[in-house]
Amino acid sequence: MWRIWLLFDPRRALIALFTFLFVLALLIHFILLSTDRFNWLGGHAAPSAAAQHMSTLPDTAKP
Amino acid sequence: MADQGRGSLSGLTESEAKEFHGIFVTSFIIFTVIAIIAHFLVWQWRPWL
Repeated sequence: MWRIWLLFDPRRALIALFTFLFVLALLIHFILLSTDRFNWLGGHAAPSAAAQHMSTLPDTAKP
Repeated sequence: MADQGRGSLSGLTESEAKEFHGIFVTSFIIFTVIAIIAHFLVWQWRPWL
């Protein structure tokens, strides 16, 4: 397996790997921040996956 | 052969490639362990399945 570094220049491989991982991490974090359930800055209580689905039922039933 | 010495495509010798590979594998294992711990903590916070 170490022979891969005879083919690929480690400096370029590391820059490519770090860039890819950074962009992927940024993408995943922003996707999570855009959701209700996994936004850790929103300050909302944790809705369960089922309760999130049912949450509009009591409000529409009241009036 | 050509890749015995300095003839490899990347310019590394075999010993340099082996040395870098050791560091790379160690770093990868540390990264993976930290990622597993992070996923475990997030699962404890709010499981996603």
